[in-house]
Amino acid sequence: MEKNKKGTVKSVFKSPYMFLVPALLFYTFFWLLPVSLSLIESFTSIDGGFSLENFKMMFDDPLFGEAFRNTLIFAVISLFLQFIFALMFALLINRNFKGSKWFLFIMLIPMAIPPSAVGILWNTGLVESGWINSLLSVTGLQNLIELLGIAEGPIIWKEASGLQAVFMIILIDTWTVLPSVMIILLAGLQNFNEEYSEAARIFGANRFQALKDIVIPIIKPTIITALLLRIISGLQVWLISVMIFGFNNVPFLLERIVFYTDQVRLGVYSYKLSVTYSVFVVAVVSITAYIFIKLTKGKDWSGTSE
Amino acid sequence: MAYLELAALKKVYGKDIEAVKSFNLKVDKEEFIVFLGPSGCGKSTIMRMIAGLESVTEGNILLEGESIIDYQPKDRGISMIFQSYAVWPHMTVYDNVAYALKLRKISKEQIDKTVKEVAKISDIYQYLNRYPNNLSGGQRQRVAVARAIAIKPKLFLMDEPLSNLDAKLRVSMRTDLKRIHQELKTTSIFVTHDQSEALSLADRIVVMNHGYIEQIGTPNEIYHDSESMFVAKFIGSPPSNFLTVKVKEREDKIFVIHSDFELEVKNKYKKALKNKYINKEIILAVRPENFTINKKGILKVKCNIIEPQGSHVVINIFVGGEEIKVVSNILTLKTNEEIDLGFSEKIAFFDIETEKRIR
Amino acid sequence: MNSAGKKTLFYLAITFIAFAVIIPMMYLINISISSAIEVNDFPKRVLPVLSHDLSIEWDDESSYYIISRKSFSGEYEELTYSSKFDKIETYLITYLNISKTEEEIEEDFIVARNTGDIIYLNYNKDIFNNFGKFFKVFDGASAALVNSIQAAAITILLSMSIGGSIGYALARTKIKGKDAISLGSLVVRMFPAVSISVPMAVLLVKFGMYDTMLGLAIIYSIPNIGLTAWITRSIFMSVNPEFEEASLVFGASKIQTFKKITFPLVLPAFAASSMYAFITAWNDTAVSLLLTNNNETLALLIYKSMGGSASIHYAASGAILLILPALAFTFLLKNYINKMWG
Ligand SMILES: Nc1ncnc2c1ncn2[C@@H]1O[C@H](COP(=O)(O)OP(=O)(O)OP(=O)(O)O)[C@@H](O)[C@H]1O
Ligand SMILES: [Mg+2]
Repeated sequence: MEKNKKGTVKSVFKSPYMFLVPALLFYTFFWLLPVSLSLIESFTSIDGGFSLENFKMMFDDPLFGEAFRNTLIFAVISLFLQFIFALMFALLINRNFKGSKWFLFIMLIPMAIPPSAVGILWNTGLVESGWINSLLSVTGLQNLIELLGIAEGPIIWKEASGLQAVFMIILIDTWTVLPSVMIILLAGLQNFNEEYSEAARIFGANRFQALKDIVIPIIKPTIITALLLRIISGLQVWLISVMIFGFNNVPFLLERIVFYTDQVRLGVYSYKLSVTYSVFVVAVVSITAYIFIKLTKGKDWSGTSE
Repeated sequence: MAYLELAALKKVYGKDIEAVKSFNLKVDKEEFIVFLGPSGCGKSTIMRMIAGLESVTEGNILLEGESIIDYQPKDRGISMIFQSYAVWPHMTVYDNVAYALKLRKISKEQIDKTVKEVAKISDIYQYLNRYPNNLSGGQRQRVAVARAIAIKPKLFLMDEPLSNLDAKLRVSMRTDLKRIHQELKTTSIFVTHDQSEALSLADRIVVMNHGYIEQIGTPNEIYHDSESMFVAKFIGSPPSNFLTVKVKEREDKIFVIHSDFELEVKNKYKKALKNKYINKEIILAVRPENFTINKKGILKVKCNIIEPQGSHVVINIFVGGEEIKVVSNILTLKTNEEIDLGFSEKIAFFDIETEKRIR
Repeated sequence: MNSAGKKTLFYLAITFIAFAVIIPMMYLINISISSAIEVNDFPKRVLPVLSHDLSIEWDDESSYYIISRKSFSGEYEELTYSSKFDKIETYLITYLNISKTEEEIEEDFIVARNTGDIIYLNYNKDIFNNFGKFFKVFDGASAALVNSIQAAAITILLSMSIGGSIGYALARTKIKGKDAISLGSLVVRMFPAVSISVPMAVLLVKFGMYDTMLGLAIIYSIPNIGLTAWITRSIFMSVNPEFEEASLVFGASKIQTFKKITFPLVLPAFAASSMYAFITAWNDTAVSLLLTNNNETLALLIYKSMGGSASIHYAASGAILLILPALAFTFLLKNYINKMWG
């Protein structure tokens, strides 16, 4: 009897599912708990009952609309830009030209720069006597800008606002994260059987058609992974905006969260507000990811069964 | 004028990797040519140059008298079957076959007709709506064939198309390829390092080694009239036996002398040996089936190992320290049995230095 | 176009793209070693400026040295005047990052006085001056550095142990629900770390982990565990169990087998996933902004340095300090990543 019991206890511990227990505990405590907590918090009023007043408060935030709009514009446009450029560079590097190793090495540098260092880097550039204006002046582009009447005198980048500022942030973000998109696409291309596109070219496709009809559809799962990760983090932009333009100037959804948690100390109200923003961001991310997956879903050809 | 001509074709990778060194070949219309050679000898490189997937370092490729080396692959009118088949996984079998036709802006009805026609020829009609991942290797192979013949190419290139199939399927596929060739009569070049494939398919075989052509000839010529020791060794299983012998002249007769036997040379080689090789060492080459056993032979030997092959046996015998293989249809031979070994008429001599045939 | 022309154009494009990455970095490096005077220079130089060209003139009437510096345009601009060498020493190190002793300065300058000519000197900059200053100007910088390393180490430990065991189970055992696990790892990734951090702050206070590196590492591990599981799974799958079996057959013990066979084979995967874990932790600003009070990480300190009154060149040298380990880590492990991707 004793022995038998011991045997079953032992077999429970030997079950392969034991490997999953640490993860289960971890995510229950440190993911499910905070997520449910924030859901509850956002849908309850301060006295504890169910209420939507937190959401009303969020919508009443004068910067909510702009933050929402900026976030979406940023995510979509940066995704598009980054995909095009990352694919282009990945195709270049994949051609294995002389020096492609070095080129890859250089292209990967921005990936290794922590975001706050990126903030500093571009701050040193965007101040009036910064390196961007230096570069313009040294290369003579400044003269061209003045000649074309785009600006008089050195451009004061940090005074940009609205969509212009959003576009600046998009460019900076693209510079920073391009390598990480590129490296995933490159992995896809390197696993790609070159004979597929060679076959296409023999059967009548030019290089572009081979890319469009054969390469991209075949590495599509890789592309979708890369872009999904990108759009998820694209919706989380805030740091560059704050480091360059400060709070409240170029608002984003996450910028609002950080603003209400870190900058304003209204006690429970700012906590409620940032929790509500958090829930809202999660909703936006999930919906966007869902739409993205739906939109990019093609026929499933990978199956091995009928 | 030859249909396809490869003129002094050369390929250098990087600075000094010479994959193909001055390759000359004329192919007639409707011919089935097989490139045969060991791994790394440059077979694929030549195919890829013909297809336009690899640039030509030197030389020229003429198809119907016109140089095609500056054409894009798509403009050469060539189709190809790859070793991995390269059947596009994201298209149905139908779309795979139709893709090339769509790019040629052929009408929908015409495409449909062609696809169905070639699907019947290559026996994939019932799979047209499937994705390649749901097909077996052999079926994918057929899709590749269908795709390749659908465009009615001027030239049909196949780079080891059967090497990924299992042994049985390989044999039946090769019969199918031969049947399709007889039906469509498309000029074809086929690459393989499997000699039995080469012998059974080819009108002519091009045996290659290290980027050179060793010999061009019909399967019979290649097998029975090997031009070099390389070819004699590469073709045939088991391959040709080589024995080092010395040429002697006695009273107007020519002998080749081995420590264990002497053989008088009577046939056409007599003159050649007499002219240049008296008192020199040369190589005597004998194919395993060109021995006689117990029929007035010239040396007595013991059967060392006997490997039964069903229809025949392969006997390993030591002759003066060298091991040779003899094929015989006397199935009753026993290990250590003493036999009387002789040579048939079909023997060949090779120069020991150049390894070329002495004629 | 002929092929040589195409090739030239191709390499031109490649060079242009490479410059778009390198030039901002070059400027940052140069600013990080800039002296207080150079910060206001315009245009900024792209190549590192390692020394100053100075001219020294002795003003007999007022009896002091006039110190000028060669500017971008090539002209000498007056910086300061003084007759006291200890003052000059302080000036040189404070405003020009030149560390020279009083005696050395005197020895050089006296020539101008004795001859009455303007003399020209080329003094090398102390390029580490700003880095030292960074730790002085921002108090807590060294503590922040230690914190960052701690947070990264705990993150690696957490993701490896938890993620690695999932990866092993997925590859080597017949557990069910593999799809659910991979979906789960995607879902947890989709929740922004900032969104988790806000309610997490309350929980961490309750657990007594607010303002600790363990608290931060927990958040950093959330996306990384899934990633580690995925990477280790693919490696455990590619390591043929037959290798291990073969070794067992030849009489090795299980531990020996793991040490000699399995471990070296899976090392690249662990290296790669630890890289990801390190980088998540080292690079993060948002989470530590929300979940720490006094114990800030280096990245957070750099972020905050922007708002302060301290000049940008110290922030830039701090940024370089932050970049270097991340860069080293990324490239050290790059070979392993390549290996993984075949
Ligand atoms: N891109 C390349 N760069 C450098 N060398 C190459 C390249 N492609 C092929 N080679 C070399 O050229 C030689 C010929 O290669 P090729 O692929 O034509 O051989 P093959 O006869 O087709 O061999 P296999 O039977 O193994 O397919 C080989 O030595 C190979 O190493
Ligand atoms: Mg080959």
